Amino acid sequence: MRNLYLFFLKYKDHFIFLFFVFCSITILLKNDNPNTHLIRGKFSDKFSIISSPFAWMRSMRQLEEETLLLREKNIQLTLKMKSMLRANEEYDSLLTLLELKEDSDLELIAANVINSGSSSNLSSITLDIGRNHGIKVSQAVLVPEGIIGKTVVVGNTSSIVQVLNDVNFRLSVRILPSGNTGILRYLKDDICEIRELQKNAQISIGDNVVTSGYSQIYPKSLPVGEVIEVLDERGSFQKVAKVRIRSNLGSLLHAFIIVSDLDKID
Amino acid sequence: MIKQIYLGLGVFALQFMLIDFLSINMIRPDFLVIYIFYFSLSNSRYKGIILGFIIGLLSDLTGVGSYFGLTSLTLSITAYLTGFLNGKYERLLPYFFHSIWISILALHFLIITYVKFQILYETNFFDFLLKFIFTFGYTMMFFFVVQFFFPVKDATRAEIS
Repeated sequence: MRNLYLFFLKYKDHFIFLFFVFCSITILLKNDNPNTHLIRGKFSDKFSIISSPFAWMRSMRQLEEETLLLREKNIQLTLKMKSMLRANEEYDSLLTLLELKEDSDLELIAANVINSGSSSNLSSITLDIGRNHGIKVSQAVLVPEGIIGKTVVVGNTSSIVQVLNDVNFRLSVRILPSGNTGILRYLKDDICEIRELQKNAQISIGDNVVTSGYSQIYPKSLPVGEVIEVLDERGSFQKVAKVRIRSNLGSLLHAFIIVSDLDKID
Repeated sequence: MIKQIYLGLGVFALQFMLIDFLSINMIRPDFLVIYIFYFSLSNSRYKGIILGFIIGLLSDLTGVGSYFGLTSLTLSITAYLTGFLNGKYERLLPYFFHSIWISILALHFLIITYVKFQILYETNFFDFLLKFIFTFGYTMMFFFVVQFFFPVKDATRAEIS
């Protein structure tokens, strides 16, 4: 027994290393475990309190710039408003004539980005709203330029969002105007690729990419990006399209979470 | 030891709070690996492994999209491998010693980059390589600044003297 103890003591570095490697791999394999989500949610709440002042500082820095921009936009929008109101009246009357149902509005909740993790490559952001605000796991997150991710961990007052550039992020998309659907995944910088496209799909550079709606998370027709390259290899049974996403994932300050029940949206 | 733990907490706070200001094209420096490297080099290896695991876990708890637990794995590996260099500066040829510690840090980033950009690795190896070089190089830039004030050779002899 004593010899065994001495043996462990002699090689404790190696045993401790093996133990922690085992622990790390166990944690990695239990990423989807509800207990892991619970712990991550609790810690996310704590860290969000610490990082809030820094997020505020970043926001303030950009506030002045944004105010100037908003003033300029305000004038432009006032001018446009009148013509829009007229167009809206016309639209309403046409809808009534055609007896079409008006599109359901998505219910969005605005949030501030309070941190973006501390790993060497960005793959998540933390928002300052959580379960207390009606947020659940697997809800779509977007910015005006398009979809940026989905909630993966939800605490009481904060949520961790798996951003589009995470290696495990996938999104069912549709290319317009052809209507072909495929699966989008991140490649590098602001470039993604769409796979599973039919070989005979008619895709051109500049085509718009939107969400397909074949999902319990993402409603249909939300903007994603535009096609910048189409790869059609001879030996392959599919086409691959490269897409540039419009949102700048590296400098997000605000985001919106879609909290609507997708089953109730037409 | 208490001083070291406070220093570790300070480095973690630095990493957590200032990382966004130092982000270039979504690549950020990793101060934690620098700290773990120095800690493991100047203290005992098993302490380095434990600290690497804890700090890695804390880092992952601040928010990762997926692969929660990866940082604790890579930091534990870094601490373990760095431990082999503890007090070895006098016994190894300098260029061999320096090549080893650079390789250890490169391995840390290679694992992280491979896991996070495995699609790029499959589709475009050159782009993957560039991504790895930028991620590794950006942290090394900060490392060399630290190295200027706290040379690696001094850190490795800390326990002997």
